[in-house]
Amino acid sequence: QIAQFGCCGKNTSLKLRGRMGNLFSRTSSSLVITIHSKGKWNQHWQSHLASNKLMVIDFSSSNCGPCRFIEPEINAMAARYTEIEFVKIDVDKLMEVAEKWDVEVVPTFVLVKRGKEVGRVVGADKKELEETIQQQLQHQQRY
Amino acid sequence: MSSSREDLLLPLLLLLFLLLLLHLASLCLQSLSLVASHACHPPPFSHLIPSAHQNSINPPPSPLSSHVHALVSPTPSTLFRCFYHRRGMAVSGFEGFEKRLELHFSGHDSLGLRRLRCDALAQVLDAVQCTVVSAVGNRYFDAYILSESSLFVYPYKMVLKTCGTTQLLRSVPCLLRHTAELGLRLRACRYSRGSFIFPRAQPFPHTSFAEEALYLEERLPPSLAFRKACVLPSSSSHSWHVYSASAADDDDRLAAGSWSTFTVEVCMTELDRSLARRFFRKKGDERSGDAVGADMTDLTEIGSINPRTLVCGFAFDPCGYSMNGLDRDSYSTIHVTPEEGHSYASFECTGRWAGGRAEVLDSLRKAIGVFRPGAVSVSFCMAPNVDENQVRSAVGDALEPLGLSCRSQAVEEFPGAGIVTYQTFTPRRE
Repeated sequence: QIAQFGCCGKNTSLKLRGRMGNLFSRTSSSLVITIHSKGKWNQHWQSHLASNKLMVIDFSSSNCGPCRFIEPEINAMAARYTEIEFVKIDVDKLMEVAEKWDVEVVPTFVLVKRGKEVGRVVGADKKELEETIQQQLQHQQRY
Repeated sequence: MSSSREDLLLPLLLLLFLLLLLHLASLCLQSLSLVASHACHPPPFSHLIPSAHQNSINPPPSPLSSHVHALVSPTPSTLFRCFYHRRGMAVSGFEGFEKRLELHFSGHDSLGLRRLRCDALAQVLDAVQCTVVSAVGNRYFDAYILSESSLFVYPYKMVLKTCGTTQLLRSVPCLLRHTAELGLRLRACRYSRGSFIFPRAQPFPHTSFAEEALYLEERLPPSLAFRKACVLPSSSSHSWHVYSASAADDDDRLAAGSWSTFTVEVCMTELDRSLARRFFRKKGDERSGDAVGADMTDLTEIGSINPRTLVCGFAFDPCGYSMNGLDRDSYSTIHVTPEEGHSYASFECTGRWAGGRAEVLDSLRKAIGVFRPGAVSVSFCMAPNVDENQVRSAVGDALEPLGLSCRSQAVEEFPGAGIVTYQTFTPRRE
């Protein structure tokens, strides 16, 4: 069963961009790349395939409380793990991408390397996401 | 030396005898106060309140308060609190029985309660003394697993269910403040719970149902004019306590068509030991709560209770399990306290009647089958135009293959909140 998401409300990433203009804001405010259009996603996906970087796709919706709940943690992780790419996909705008990746609830975090899924965390569980990322980084270091 | 020992012997014996007498006396007093507290057990409030149906046009100011006040005045049990304290310490463990609060709001935007900011929700949960462990959302609602049970947030409905010694009702004033800021108006409130295994361990206002009802009476807005509090009895010492307050009566709600769903709450005790053991973490298993929870979900086949449901399970340390399930706009939730001596599990879900009836009965049977409990209670809350006799006999039929027989049934109608049934079951004696 694939969830059908309706039109989203206010776009939270716009708020983030506005805050970036403030010199005294924390630098962790938007190292997460937010994807709004299919075109941008395709572009990004191609560059991911060409790289060797681990990518964390954050499937999210601005209607969803749990997504807002974990947002600061994701921003903090993006600042900390500079070797990982963090991408946020708005499931209300990019429904087909969410369906393709079997996303039924949000937030869902899909870890990908060289185009293949290497991990998945369903739900706003900061500890679980952190552990899954650590596992992947340790795995990378060995090879 | 021996003579001084003999001198000491007699006073020692006297002292021992006195201590024995005191102990016997305290036991007598304890049993007396138990009898007293039974006698003072709040009778169903319903017969004290004039029927709301008679006053549907101009609802009277809630007459509940004066009766609730009378019940809150000192009972004999408070006089013997010093003896209870010692006894309470000896037999104590995690309280599995939950307190459940359901709130309905009205507003003008499509998101409603889902717009509540994280810090607002955090404040509410702080008042209750629990935290968010994990959370997901779909198109229809958000589901949070808490350190002590669950929270479901729909645009216009919120369900907060907490166990242990949480002070659930303290969420109410905090929530009303934050929802008012969002332009949302409270329309209805329903509070329900079973009987605590460790009632003495509960903090204010959960020290008694009278206290809980009074707490709500004092904090709910007067626009919720249709109120009722009632204790549905059973053939055992367990009861089902329900307090409801609603701005609209049955006729208004039926006319508005706002009564499409029912809720069913199942409470299970004396869980089968080998089945309960599945909810303990294995020694040395350091994996996350999500990972171990997923294993428990698979092993116990909780995932197949309703195949359409997306299950998010979580395993606590060293034992315990919680799950929230999402099936379109319906939620389900299971919480397990597996420790022997005070084992407990709950199952709750919502559903629609049209075609959904057989499904929910199957889910009930499968959920109860996961735990094979020694005692079960099933409570439905549904619209007043539903045939509750049919529902009760259908539940009995559904549980019969598990070897469970219905021991007691009670029904009560709550104006604006619906019909509440309460059935208890124990295994058939072969």
